Amino acid sequence: MTQAARPLTYLIAALGGEGGGVLAEWIVECATRAGLPVQATSVPGVAQRTGATSYYIEVMSAPDPAGRAPIFALVPSAGRVDVAIASELLEAGRLLERGFVSPDRTLFIASTSRVYTTMEKMQMGDGRFDGDKVHAAAQALSRRYVSMDLDALAQANGTIVSAAMFGALAGAGAFPWPRELCEEVVRSGGRGAGPSLKGFAAAFAVAAHPPAAQTEAAPAPAAAEPLKTGADMAHLPQAVREVVAHGVARCIDYQDEAYGDLFLERVRTLVASAPALDDPRVAHALEEGARRLALWMAYEDIPRVADLKTRSARFERIRKDAEMQPGQILKVVEFMKPGADEIAAMLPARAGRWFMARADAAKYIPLLGKGINLSTTSVFGYWLMRGLAAMQRVRRSSLRYGEEQVAIELWLTAMRSALARAPDLAGALAELPRLLKGYGDTHLRGRTNYAAIFSRIVEPALASPAPSDHSAALRRAVAAALADPEGKTLSGALQGAA
Amino acid sequence: MAEVSFAKQIELLKLGAGETFHGEGILAVTKALLQSGVTYVGGYQGAPVSHLLDVMVEARDLMGELGVNVQACTNEASAAAMLGASIMYPVRGAVTWKSIVGTNVAADALSNLSSPGVMGGALIVVGEDYGEGASVIQERTHAFAMKSAMWLMDPRPNLPTIVRMVEKGFQLSEASNAPVIMELRIRACHLRGTFVASDNVRPRISGRDLQQQPADFLYDRLAHPPVTYRHEKLKYEVRMPAARQFIVDHGLNELFDGKHRNVGLVVQGGLYNTLIRALQEMGLADSYGETDVPILALNVVYPLVPDEIVRFATGRDAIVVIEEGQPEYIEHEVGTILRRADCNTTLHGKDVLPMVGEYTSEMLVAGLLKVFSRHMPQLDLSGAQAFAASVDGVRRDAAQALAGPLPPRPPGFCIGCPERPVFAALKLAERDVGKVHVSADIGCHALATFEPFSFGNSILGYGMSLASSAGVQGFSAKRPVAIMGDGGFWHNGLLSGVTSSLLNKGDQILVIMKNGYTSATGTQDVISTPTSASRQAAEGLSTTANELTIEKTLKGMGVQWMRTVHNYNVGSVRDTLLDAMKTPYGGLKVIIAEGECQLERQRRLRPIRAKKLAGGERVVRERYGVDEDTCTGDHSCIRLSGCPTLTVKPSSDPLKTDPVAHVTNGCVGCGLCGANAHAATLCPSFFRAEIVSNPTWFDRAKAGARRMLTRVG
Repeated sequence: MTQAARPLTYLIAALGGEGGGVLAEWIVECATRAGLPVQATSVPGVAQRTGATSYYIEVMSAPDPAGRAPIFALVPSAGRVDVAIASELLEAGRLLERGFVSPDRTLFIASTSRVYTTMEKMQMGDGRFDGDKVHAAAQALSRRYVSMDLDALAQANGTIVSAAMFGALAGAGAFPWPRELCEEVVRSGGRGAGPSLKGFAAAFAVAAHPPAAQTEAAPAPAAAEPLKTGADMAHLPQAVREVVAHGVARCIDYQDEAYGDLFLERVRTLVASAPALDDPRVAHALEEGARRLALWMAYEDIPRVADLKTRSARFERIRKDAEMQPGQILKVVEFMKPGADEIAAMLPARAGRWFMARADAAKYIPLLGKGINLSTTSVFGYWLMRGLAAMQRVRRSSLRYGEEQVAIELWLTAMRSALARAPDLAGALAELPRLLKGYGDTHLRGRTNYAAIFSRIVEPALASPAPSDHSAALRRAVAAALADPEGKTLSGALQGAA
Repeated sequence: MAEVSFAKQIELLKLGAGETFHGEGILAVTKALLQSGVTYVGGYQGAPVSHLLDVMVEARDLMGELGVNVQACTNEASAAAMLGASIMYPVRGAVTWKSIVGTNVAADALSNLSSPGVMGGALIVVGEDYGEGASVIQERTHAFAMKSAMWLMDPRPNLPTIVRMVEKGFQLSEASNAPVIMELRIRACHLRGTFVASDNVRPRISGRDLQQQPADFLYDRLAHPPVTYRHEKLKYEVRMPAARQFIVDHGLNELFDGKHRNVGLVVQGGLYNTLIRALQEMGLADSYGETDVPILALNVVYPLVPDEIVRFATGRDAIVVIEEGQPEYIEHEVGTILRRADCNTTLHGKDVLPMVGEYTSEMLVAGLLKVFSRHMPQLDLSGAQAFAASVDGVRRDAAQALAGPLPPRPPGFCIGCPERPVFAALKLAERDVGKVHVSADIGCHALATFEPFSFGNSILGYGMSLASSAGVQGFSAKRPVAIMGDGGFWHNGLLSGVTSSLLNKGDQILVIMKNGYTSATGTQDVISTPTSASRQAAEGLSTTANELTIEKTLKGMGVQWMRTVHNYNVGSVRDTLLDAMKTPYGGLKVIIAEGECQLERQRRLRPIRAKKLAGGERVVRERYGVDEDTCTGDHSCIRLSGCPTLTVKPSSDPLKTDPVAHVTNGCVGCGLCGANAHAATLCPSFFRAEIVSNPTWFDRAKAGARRMLTRVG
């Protein structure tokens, strides 16, 4: 049996609503105009817009012999895909996982852009899949790997990703027909042809002449302001000094110079307890410790939120994110619903306690428990928020400030003890304040979890003769606290540790 | 049908003889119906056959010209019952739905149709929603064909064959007086190919050429005893032999001979292309279907023609039945045929191929290798063996490099979907009363079974949620909640659920998602769909609030406890749910959760907004946002939403390691983020940005004054 003629096979992985169907249609039309037999199939699934979908196309590289028609497959076969393209990096990974990319055959084009899945987004910490793994696998397992940010190319040219995908395919030499035919077919599509052609051309250029480094480097950290860390910290590792510098800046921005000095002083006590700075575990514990200390000291209370929401840089960012044009007018409405504890938190300690007592006794307090929609672009709303921001000046006498400083000192004491005796444990303990995030119920839950872990694991660990033995349990507990909001995993972990 | 245009597809339906049709499989079927002179068409939407009906409903002019009566039926039973017209009149009719679920619903009418049999051709086009991408339970239509003596076609998946089989299907139905089912798999429906069209045929009896006299009274055409006993004899003594004769006379099943005579392959037509690809992989076929191993492709899989099977098997060492799904009906029948003919050819099938799941060429290669190496040891199959090994190797390498499974990406609610807030409210209600039993249903709302909501203790079918909580309520301390869409309500839920609950005074809670359409299948109309005029007037606003057909129906039936809530008002939806859970009232409690399908709203709004912007008119766009300065990266907002535009991004704060929440520019400003922030006391990071394009002088003056009196613009 002769194997002379076999179809070229194309597999397109996209998300619903990205125009994958249009792309398949373009390819079919090109093949038809080039006189090549072609067939396309798809599994669009339900009408919903966000699931993974795929399109599969087979094209014969020569016209039919007289009286014969090819038998096309409807389903892609693992190991038998000539060209695979994914509009999104995780979907590229899925093609790899299913064996559709093979080293002897597949030209593989993948976008570096990510559309996170709900599973990744909903985690309490960082649930994102590591995209570098996909790049590495693609590099190793394809005949040729072309990687670019198709989504950015599409957006920059005012079109949707399918146009950029078409350009990338053509630019990488995936088609047995010339570029001009592709463009002719896009043009004959009518509406939106202009931007589509621009997106096509941009991706074509990148695929035809890939830049030397294909995977994008992580965005460089903002140009470090002069590192204000104090001369006595010059001997610290660079990473630690950077965090400390950011921490000082944060505390000054949050309160004043003196608060920055307090931060530095606290860091110094940590450094002083650390035995050997060349131990990477110690360096890590210091870096994370300084990071969590800064974030903790700059805790989000009402004055802080009011201040951040009325900065002009913030309005600039909103304009930029919304892609606003000159001449458009922006109005911003905030959704505020301060809880009793958040109001009490910013009051002077005694007033705050009186307020909480009233709230706990379920006495009526005007406005409490009602959502407030407040426009920070209105004159009234703006100055109301500035007024709240000004409460920052009396923050040091507030109820929450006192409570937070006590808790910070407790943690610092534990950190110092751990640094001196068990750098492993110190590294894990440095991460513990990560649980103190969010507002309202979320924050309350974080505090409860923090307290439970501190008393059930940290204190017994430090009291034990071999604190290092407890560092794994502490890490597990922190991870468990971030695993589910109901606290099921954490209570399991605490039981295991006890 | 709402805002989707089928203008291009309608043009394809008008093609004349000799013109080439370029398009999807399901549309080719639609065209073939018109070429067959069909008098009436009905059906119920569902992937992958929705298009057939959608396009026909839209092609009013063309249907009017031909006199074809098109009905968008309210469920599959009403579609199947339409075929009753062909029992007594020489008219051709076709109906369509998604199988197996639709066939289940239609089963009563189908039994009563096939018992008396038909005079005019009756064709049932089912989307065999099996395997990859299927959205329903995995069962085969084949069983229905066998039990009711309807013939089942499974054409080879290329447009010329599919079109020919539609035309032959009507003839087969008429020649044997039995209804014919054509099953089309998902990919065959969405297959984009070509065929040479014929002219449409205007039916002899139609809306334009009316039948002047009703049919005579003939008791033996009724599905009623005692004539049903005779029907049974007719089925097997007259109709089935006639069908077999027609199949042979018209060559409906196709023999592709090959040089290796000692083995033969019997394949469902729908799997033929996959089989050719598998043989190609083994070096036993080429791209044009030239095969070394003889193939009998069954375009009609029920009934089989015993002579055809025996002739194909005789003289061979073995035949293999390649049949997708379970149980292996065809293989059983082939086995019986061979035994009765005392033909001792070895029969293979599910012994070498997987019992369940869709067949890929890779699976067929694996199965056929076992048969070929045993019966054709002279063949060099090392290439195919190496292929199988190399594919396994690639998958293993990929799994290793990716270090663990990838996060799944199931479909989810659309951006701004009005059903999402109801589940956010239900999640918040559970904070108060604890977990409740949720009876889920079929429809968009079934997407709440995925993260971040994970709601649903059972799904019993379309419109069945309330009925399925009837048993649960009897032994549950807390009242169960049944979720139902307006699509499911009109399909079945009203009768199976509401009337039964009222009759039995059930202490149940029913939440009806009133979004105005059967959205999951492509926003087809229901009887409570807002009028076209009200939709045009509303532009981008929801139009379901003033459409009260459901409310009036329920009131008329005697529902005492009924509340209508506006979905995006999460706090009040939660409070209403809590009311329903806590009220002393012991009867059925209905909450109508109202909010028009966002897809429809956006389809309407987009062109209107574009026109206004181009014309220099004032347009306000709303979108939501998250301040990354104040976001602490806990993502509780996402756990209450799952909106595609509410996502995460790396924090630009060098101190924060966890990603922060972020709203992309795809946000349509539905309001859920703000409502959740209030209802769940989430966090102060959310804001709503209102962007005024083409501002008036008054807008500009206000903005100027604000700039002067504050420090920001």
